Amino acid sequence: MNRRGMVLVAIISVAFIAVVVRLADIMVMNHDWFLAKARGQQTKQENIPVKRGIIYDRMGRELAVNLETESVFCDPAEISAHDDVAKSLSRELGSDARVVLTKLNADKRFYWVERKVELARAQRIRDMKLKGIGFIPELKRYYPKGSLASHVVGFVNSDNTGLEGIERELDKQLSTQTEKLTKGKDARGQTLSEGSMKELKGNDVVLTVDEGLQHIVEKNLDEIMAKWHAASATIIMMNPHTGEILALANRPAYNLNNASGTSMQKLRNRAITDSYEPGSTFKVVVGSAALEEGTVNSRSMFDCSAGTVEVGGRRIKDDHRNGVLSFEEVIQKSSNVGTIKIGLGLGKQRVYDYVKKFGFGERTGIDLAGEVSGLVRHPDKWSGMSIGAISIGQEIAVTPLQVLRAYAVIANGGLLVKPHVVAEIRTPQGQQVYRANNEKERVLSEKTAIAFRSILKRVTEEGGTAKSASIDGNQVAGKTGTAQLFDQRTKRYSKERYVSSFVGFVPADDPRIAMIVVVHEPKGAIYGGVVAGPAFKAIANESLSYLSVPRDDQRERGLLLVSNRERVYP
Amino acid sequence: MIKFDRRLIKSFDWMTFGIIVTLTLIGIMTIASATRPAIEGADRPDFYLKQIVWLCVSLCALFIIVAFDYVWLQRFAYVFYGIGLVLLLVVLVAGKTSLGAQRWISIGPLTFQPSEFFRLAFIAGFSAYLTSGVAGGLGRLTWPGVFFFAVLPMALIVKQPDLGTAILLFSLFVVLCLVKGLSRKLIAGVLVLGMIALPFFGHIFWEGLKEYQKNRLVAFLDPEVDPSGIGYQINQSKITIGSGGLVGKGYMQGTQGPLRFLPEKHTDFIFAVFAEEWGFLGSLVLMALYLMLFMRGLDTALKAKDDYGRLVAAGITAMFFVYFTVNISMTLGMMPVVGVPLPFVSYGGTALLSNFIAAGILICIRTRRFELFYPHIW
Repeated sequence: MNRRGMVLVAIISVAFIAVVVRLADIMVMNHDWFLAKARGQQTKQENIPVKRGIIYDRMGRELAVNLETESVFCDPAEISAHDDVAKSLSRELGSDARVVLTKLNADKRFYWVERKVELARAQRIRDMKLKGIGFIPELKRYYPKGSLASHVVGFVNSDNTGLEGIERELDKQLSTQTEKLTKGKDARGQTLSEGSMKELKGNDVVLTVDEGLQHIVEKNLDEIMAKWHAASATIIMMNPHTGEILALANRPAYNLNNASGTSMQKLRNRAITDSYEPGSTFKVVVGSAALEEGTVNSRSMFDCSAGTVEVGGRRIKDDHRNGVLSFEEVIQKSSNVGTIKIGLGLGKQRVYDYVKKFGFGERTGIDLAGEVSGLVRHPDKWSGMSIGAISIGQEIAVTPLQVLRAYAVIANGGLLVKPHVVAEIRTPQGQQVYRANNEKERVLSEKTAIAFRSILKRVTEEGGTAKSASIDGNQVAGKTGTAQLFDQRTKRYSKERYVSSFVGFVPADDPRIAMIVVVHEPKGAIYGGVVAGPAFKAIANESLSYLSVPRDDQRERGLLLVSNRERVYP
Repeated sequence: MIKFDRRLIKSFDWMTFGIIVTLTLIGIMTIASATRPAIEGADRPDFYLKQIVWLCVSLCALFIIVAFDYVWLQRFAYVFYGIGLVLLLVVLVAGKTSLGAQRWISIGPLTFQPSEFFRLAFIAGFSAYLTSGVAGGLGRLTWPGVFFFAVLPMALIVKQPDLGTAILLFSLFVVLCLVKGLSRKLIAGVLVLGMIALPFFGHIFWEGLKEYQKNRLVAFLDPEVDPSGIGYQINQSKITIGSGGLVGKGYMQGTQGPLRFLPEKHTDFIFAVFAEEWGFLGSLVLMALYLMLFMRGLDTALKAKDDYGRLVAAGITAMFFVYFTVNISMTLGMMPVVGVPLPFVSYGGTALLSNFIAAGILICIRTRRFELFYPHIW
C-alpha cells in the first residue's frame, strides 16, 4: 500500500476511534443519566381526583354530593384552524367565541377551555373530533338543595377546596391527601398507559341540621324579609338539651351551585359573625342571676311607677308607664326600670360573673368558621351607668347564637350547652371517626331554671310583650327584644334603625326546640313582639307538627305520640 | 444480447455485496421498529414494506451494473455530469421546498433529490477528467477544470442550500486529487486557500443559510441553549442512544421513536433507534460492518485494473465514509445537525437505489480487476 493509501486508512481509523469513544461515553459511562432523562420525559405524574365526602343532614338526606364531569383543555400548538375550533366550542359551551379564541391562542401547551362540563355535553364536543382539544375527568361538587342552609354547608372552589361553611371547616376530613399516579406519555403529552386507578374518597359528614326544619325556617325567613323590608335577618333553631343546631339561616343568602363571586354581604353567616346589642332579651341574665343568688324571690315587688330610673347620671325610661310590679311582671312586661333595680341589687361583680357564666364575650365554639366573641367589658372599665345599661342589654355586643344558648340554659334546666352542627364523621366504609360529645356545664340550679321558665311563659300570655308568639296547643316561653342600633357616625342610638328579636323555646315545660329570630332594621314596625314574634309562632307551629310533638292538652289526655323523626345524638 | 461470463460469479465481490445487503436488512428491521405505533393495535405505517420493495429494485440495478464492464461509465462520464449539473439548475428553478431548502424534483409519483444522482455523476465525471490527460498530466490542475468540477457545482449546491452535499463534494474533490497523485503542495495549497477564504466567504455563507440551519449550528455549539427548541434534536438523539446502555433495550423495545420524542426517527436519526435497541455492543457490530465496507473499498481502489477504476472506487468509498461519519457524528452530537442519511440503513427509496448503484460500480470494479488481460465484453 502506498503512502497515500496509508493516509486514507489513517483518516478512517481516527474517525472510527473517535466515534467508538464517543459511543462508549454516552452509552456506557453516562447510561444511567440518559436513561433517567428518557424515563423522566416518558412519564407524567397526575393527581388522582379525590372524591369529596358527602354532607348529609341528620336524617341522611344529601346536602352536598359529587357529579362526574369532564374538563376541556386545549394544546394551542396542536390546533390548526383556531377560529373554526373556537366557533364550534363556543356553540356547544354557550360561551363567547372571542373568549374561547383567546384561550386557544394562549402561549402554553396546556390551557383550560372550560372546567367541569356535563358528561353529555363533553361527549358532543368529543364527537366533533377537534385536534388539540382534550378532556380530563373531574368531580364537581353539587348542592342538590341549592341555597338551602348555604351558610352551614358552604361551598368549594373549582379545585374542590372548601371556601365556606362546613366545606371549609372540615375540608381536611371531606377531602383527603391526593396521591400521584404515574402514567406513560408521548412527546405530545398524550397519555398512553393508565396507572392502576385507585379511588380516593374523603370522609362523609352528618350534620345535626334537619332539612325539613331548615326548609320551614328559610321559608318564614323569606316572608319576614319581604314583609318588613329588613336589611338582614337570622334564625337559629337548636335542641336546647344538646346544643345540636337543627336549622340555621341568614338573609341575604346565596345559591351554593353558583357561589363564585358572591358578595361578602351574602356570604356572612350573621348568626355567628355579627354582634349586636341584644336589648331586652338580655334581661334573662340579670333576672335568673337574681333568682339564683336569692336577691329576689317571687314575692319581691319593684316600684316602677316613676317610669324612669337614674343610674350613673343617665335617666333610663320605660316604654310604657307601669305601676308597682312583681318580679315576674318586670320580666313579663320587660320593664327597664324594674330590671335595672334588680341589677343594682346584684351589684357590679355578680352581674359581670353571670354575663360570663352564660357564655357572653366568648366564642361558643360552634364548628363553623368566622365566629366572633362579641364584647363584654371588664367591670374595671365600666362607667357609673354601665351596670344599668348592661342589665337591659346595652353596652354589650352579642351574637344571635350566644343569646339562643343563654335561653337554652333556662329551657334545659340550667346547663350551658355547646352549639354544634356536626353530628358525626365517618369514613367511606362507614366507620365512625368523630361523634359530637354534647358537653354541657351547669350555670344555674335546676330550681332557678324551672322557676324562670314559668316567668318566660307569661311573656306570651295575656299582658306579656309577645302575645303574638303564643301558639295553639303548646305553651311558648320566650322574650322579646327591641334594640336601637348604635350609629357609629353620630355616636348616638339611632331613632330609625332597630334590631327586633324574639328568643324562646317550645313546648315550655318539655322543650324540644329553642329558637331565636333576629331582624335587623325592619321597616314599618320595630317591636320584637310585632316583627319577630309572629315568625317564631309560625315556625314553631310547623316545626312541632313536623316533629310530631304532641299538643300539651293531648299529653294530658294521655295521647302521647312517639316521634321517630327525632334522632338525638347521642 | 451477451454471453454470460461464468467468471463473473467466481470473482464476484461477495463480501461488499453481503455487507450492504446486511446493512439494508438491519435498516428495514430498524425502520419497522422505529415507526411502530406507541399504542397496541394501531396501524403500523408501511415504511418498512416500501423499503423492501426498493431493496428489490436496487438489487436488480446492482446486478445489471455488475454484468457490464464499467468502461461505459468512463465513456459517458461527461454526459452524466452535464445532466447532473442541469438537474441542479432545474431544482433551483422548479424544485420542491422542504424545510426551506429546495432539494426535490417530482417526476410523476416519484420525488427524488438530484443531488443523489449528481454525486455519482461527479465521481464519474471528475475521475474521467483526472484520467483524461486534459488535466495536464501529473501534478497539474487547469483552471477550467477547477471551475467545472469545483466552483460551479459548489455554487449551485450552496445556493439551495444543501450543507450535506457541499461537505461531500469538498471531501470528494480532495480525496480524488489525493488518489490521482496531484502534488501534495497543490492539495495543501487548496486546503490553505479554503481556510483563508472561509472567513471571507463564511459571512456570505452564514447569511445564505436558512434559519433552521443557523439554529442547528447554534444548537450544536450549546445544546442546552434551548433544550425544547433548537437543541431538541441533538438532546433527544443523545438521550435515545444513551438510554440503550451496554446491551440495549431489545428489538422492538425502544421507546423514544414510537413515543415521538426522537424526530426523523426512521431517516436521519435511525442510528439512535438502532443503538437504543441493540446497545453499545450492537452498535460496535454495526460500526464493524461499515469499517469492513470502507477497507474493502480502499482495497478495491488499490487493486483496480486501471486508473479510472481506482479513482471511481476511491470516490465511492469516500462518499459512503463521509455520509456515515457525518450522520453518526450528528446523532452523537459531535457535529451540527446536517440532514444526511445513514447509507443503506436510513429510510429512503431513491437514496437506497443510488447507493446500490454506487456499490454496484464498486463491485464491478473489483470483479473485473483481472480483465485487463481479457477482451472487453462491451
